[in-house]
Parts: sequence; C-alpha cells; structure tokens
Amino acid sequence: MSLRSWLLLAPLLALMTFIIGWPLAKTVAVSFTDAKLLGGDVHWLGLANFQRVLAAPAFYEVVWTTIRFVLISVGAEFLLGLLAALLLDQKFHGRGIVRALMILPWALPTVVNATMWRLIYNPDFGAFNALFTQVGLIDAYRSWLGEPGSALYAICLADVWKNFPLVALIALAALQSVPRELRAAAVIDGAGPWSRFRAVILPYLIGPLTVAVVLRIIEAFKVFDIIWVMTRGGPANSTKTISILVYQQAFSFQQAGLGGSIALIMVLISALLIAGYVTILRKQGELK
Amino acid sequence: MATLTLQGIKKRYGPVETLKGIDLDLEDGEFLVLLGSSGCGKSTLLNIIAGLIEPSDGDVLIDGQSIVRVHPKNRNIAMVFQSYALYPNMTVARNLGFGLEMRGVAKADRQRAIEKVAAVLQIDHLLDRKPAALSGGQRQRVAIGRAMVRDPKVFLFDEPLSNLDAKLRVEMRTELKKLHQRLGTTIVYVTHDQIEAMTLASRIAIMRDGVVQQFAAPQEIYERPANLYVAEFIGSPGMNFIHGELRRQDGRIGILSKTGAAGASFLPLAAANLAAADAAIEARIDRPVILGIRPETVTLANSSTAAAPHLASFEAQVEVLEPTGADTLGTLRLGADQVTARLRPGDLQQAGGTARFAADMSRASLFDPETGLRIS
Repeated sequence: MSLRSWLLLAPLLALMTFIIGWPLAKTVAVSFTDAKLLGGDVHWLGLANFQRVLAAPAFYEVVWTTIRFVLISVGAEFLLGLLAALLLDQKFHGRGIVRALMILPWALPTVVNATMWRLIYNPDFGAFNALFTQVGLIDAYRSWLGEPGSALYAICLADVWKNFPLVALIALAALQSVPRELRAAAVIDGAGPWSRFRAVILPYLIGPLTVAVVLRIIEAFKVFDIIWVMTRGGPANSTKTISILVYQQAFSFQQAGLGGSIALIMVLISALLIAGYVTILRKQGELK
Repeated sequence: MATLTLQGIKKRYGPVETLKGIDLDLEDGEFLVLLGSSGCGKSTLLNIIAGLIEPSDGDVLIDGQSIVRVHPKNRNIAMVFQSYALYPNMTVARNLGFGLEMRGVAKADRQRAIEKVAAVLQIDHLLDRKPAALSGGQRQRVAIGRAMVRDPKVFLFDEPLSNLDAKLRVEMRTELKKLHQRLGTTIVYVTHDQIEAMTLASRIAIMRDGVVQQFAAPQEIYERPANLYVAEFIGSPGMNFIHGELRRQDGRIGILSKTGAAGASFLPLAAANLAAADAAIEARIDRPVILGIRPETVTLANSSTAAAPHLASFEAQVEVLEPTGADTLGTLRLGADQVTARLRPGDLQQAGGTARFAADMSRASLFDPETGLRIS
C-alpha cells in the first residue's frame, strides 16, 4: 500500500486503536498485576493471577455452566429455528404475517426480554406457574429462577425464545434459495419428503446454518446481560457463567487484576471460536 | 412406448384461467412440441402432465389409463428442466442414478444402467465430476441422461436448449432428434423457438392465452396456418399479409389490394384454393379479406411465370434489398401493404425502381380479418 492510502486510513486507524486497542492493552496489562478497582498500590504479579484462576475448581464449574448454557440454548435454537423455517417455507394463508411476527422476539432488547421472562417465571403470579398448575403438570407454584436445579434451564428457555428467530430467518432464506426446478426434479425422481430434505435441501441449508450456529455459539459463550437481569448468577452460582465471574471479580470484589485475567482467558477461547468461524466462511467461499 | 391423451385440461388460478380446455391426442412415439410465447400456458400444461401441477379440470391419460390422480414418481414419466436441475452436491453418476436409487434398484443394476446411458450420451468420462465442473452442453447431456436412465414411457422437456449458446443449441437439437429416432419414446417438448419446433416435432401444438391455436404437423402448420396468429408466429421472415377485398374480375376470383402509392393490384386465386372452399369463397365476394403469402413464394416474374395459372403477377416498388448470402430479402410495396420477398441473389441489382413479381397463389392463405380464421 502506498503512503497515500496509509495516510487516508490513518484517522480511522487512530480511532480504532483508541477505542479497541487501548482498552484491550489496558486489560492485558492489568491482568498481570494485583490492581484494585479503586486504585492503591499496584504490584507486578506475572502469571500468578492466571495460575490462581486455573487452579480454582470454582472456575471450571463456571466454565461448565457456560458450556451447558451454550449447548442447550444454541442446540434448541438450531432445532426450533430449522423447524420454524421449514414450516414458514410452506404455502399457507397469512404466511407473511407469521413471518413478520416471528422476527419480533429477536427485535426485543435482551434486558426487556429478561425482565419479561422474570415476570413470567414469578413465583407468586407468574404466567408460567399458572399455566403449569392449570394443566396439572405441577401441584404448586414454584420459584423457577430461585431453585438451582431449574434456574439455568429457565434462562435458556428465555434465551431460546429470543434467539431462535435469527436461526429461522437464516434457514428460511437458505430454503428459498433452493431452485424450484430442483425440488420438482427430486419429486419426479421419486424422492420422498425425507430423501428430498437430505439430498436436495440440506446441501443448500448446511452452509448458512453453520454460520448461524457458530455465530450463536460465540455470542452465547459471552452471555452476560440476560443472566445478570434474571438471576445475577445465582442461586448458589448455578447460573454463573464466565462473563458473570469476570464482572463479579472485577467490580463486585473490585479485583481488577484477577477479573482482567479471567476476561483474557475468555477472549482467548472466543478467539479460537472466531478462528473456526472464519475457517468455515473461507471453506464455503472456496466451494462457490 | 406409450400414447398420451389430454382431455379438456383447464387450470384456474383464482379468477385467471391459464388453460382453457386443452385436448391433444398423441400416438405412440410422437414428438409433440408445445409452442408459444411466454405466458401462453405451455409450461403449465407440461407441469400438469408431469404431475407437478394439478389441473382444475380435465384428464391426462397414458396408454388409456388416467394418471391425473397418480403421484409424479409413479407416472412413469421423466422430465428435463430448463435449468437442468442437476443435484449440485452429487456426482454425475449419482445424479443419473438418483431416480433408480429412490426406487430401490440394486446398486449393480443401477451401475449398469448409468454406464449404458453415459455411453450413449458420451458422458462416461464425466461420471465422477460434480455438475459445477461441467460445461453447459455437458450438463444438458447429464440432464437428458437422468431422464433416459429410467426408461420412462413419456419424456417431458421444458425449454431444454434455451440456456445454451447458439452453436451448441443447433448441435444439441440435432442430437435430440437422433435420440428420439433411436429411442422412439413419446416426447412432449416445450419451447418458444419456432425453429426448434419445426425441426424436432412430429406435430406442433401452437398455444396462445391457454388455447391451442393449431395442432398439426410442422409443414401443415407452415403451409396452412389455421389463423392469423399462427401465420404470423411461424416463419422467419414472417408471412406477408395483404389487406384487400375479394373480387370477381374477368371471370376470375381474386384479391384486390388496397390502393397505395403505386395503385392497387388484383391477385387472382389459384384453382386449388377455389376448389378447396368454393362456397366459403363465394360468400366472401366484395367483402374484406387478408391474403397471406410466404416470402419464398414471391419471385421475380419472367416469361415462364406468366404462363403458369397458379402464379399471380403484380408490379411493385422495391424499397429495400437485404442480401443474407443464400438469398436476398426484398421489401416491396404492394398496394398499401409491405411485402417481403425471398429472392435469388442477383435477381435485382438495386432498390428504388419497380419490378414485376409473381406470387404462388397455390401456397397462399386467405383469412377473415374479423375473426382472424383461415377461410381457404
């Protein structure tokens, strides 16, 4: 690149360095120290913070909670999204309206969604309790978010409700890119619904769906807001994910250095996931 | 080997009727071309035969058996699509064998059938490739092969050549014809290309607005178009239409053209035409008619043409001469109408003057200007 192009890029580069590079560098620097949130003496600790984190069994519990959240949420979003897309690909009256309605949950801000589901799960007057007692599935109202056994699943449900439309939307777009003549050819070739799906439709779905799922995995891995609003990581740490742990260490316990090191570990894992995502994108590019 | 019968096929989409009662009867081994411009309903009709669209009314029969309630896969038909519709993720071999695979044919039998078809179509060296790695012509062959491999009773072709370049299209057209001669299977072929229709068909059904305008052998359609639409649609350059009145002059019946800059001409009908529809013609005398003559039936008049009774001679202004190599197209002014004549190169040296021409009236058509229908 010529000097001229570098000069033209310079303002943007400066801005990016300032808003992305500087906080990142600061986090890296802090993670090697015992810095407190409110200042005071700062000492260089080297890798001590990381050793402490990786040696603590509690950290692996948090990682496991995060993985469970990712697997359950993204798994359900994938299945529901795919089924919804297949349904909305059929011709029926009011299809346009249903398609538009389906996007609504996704358009809601996460905090609004979380608050709404907290009301739905409310142990005294929540709709969820009302529904389940009225149909006879449970005997008495429960605190879905207040019991360690159910809190994570309850949050997953709220997350799935909000995010499956994204998967559905992407899958629907992919379904509509399957040529009409190709489907007709498969019908004449004698392929039943399952064979048609597997041999004709799935090849068109697999690329976009992979992208959607990987994006959702990266996002779900970093989950913070929905959990913070609904349970703050409780009860009994049963919904504590890595992001919540970072927040607690850095802000609640004011251990900026320790929090920074956990955040950095999370960044590394995210970077690996993103590398996988980019590889998939590149492979798909090559196929075309 | 099969006959195909369409009885009163109708298709309505809401208030719009795209097919208004189609009746066609094909003998075993016929090559039917459904010809028409886009939106005439030809593809809808093909899809109804395939079973991809359900007719609102009417019946489809193969070998006398109604198949209108039969699932497409059980109709024993195969279809070649305009886009070829090859499965992009499968090799050529699997594309060819997919229909057999879905019908539970054993792998060894499938392999034999694939190899046989691939040899016929000369695609045996491509069997391991994916469609994306094939040229347009090769994809076309695979698409045809996929239809052939099941040995169906009826082949359906939906504009199969329209995605090929001009040279390849002509080659594939010839190959299709050879293939039909070799297989002898009944074929229904949809196209908007009149040359494809003329060269391939044993019979053509020309469609317009969901109605069959004429169903006949290509030469019959060319020589004796049923109405003005068919006359105009078939032939390039198109048939000339001369507007005038039917008159009796000097004991002969003929067309008196409208008066133009060069005056009017009287073109006596040939005896053949008179005999064919005597009463119909008598009834038209002194009423407006349209005379249709093909460009190649107009020649330069000479001493021998004057003697032939079926040739009507007329004088016309030569407006433009367009040499195409094999012939020269002359644009003439006859009465108020413009007439294109397919002349021999060297017949006329330059445009601008007038010359005498002779029209072969035994090959002329007479139409009613109100209904557009053929009188004789």
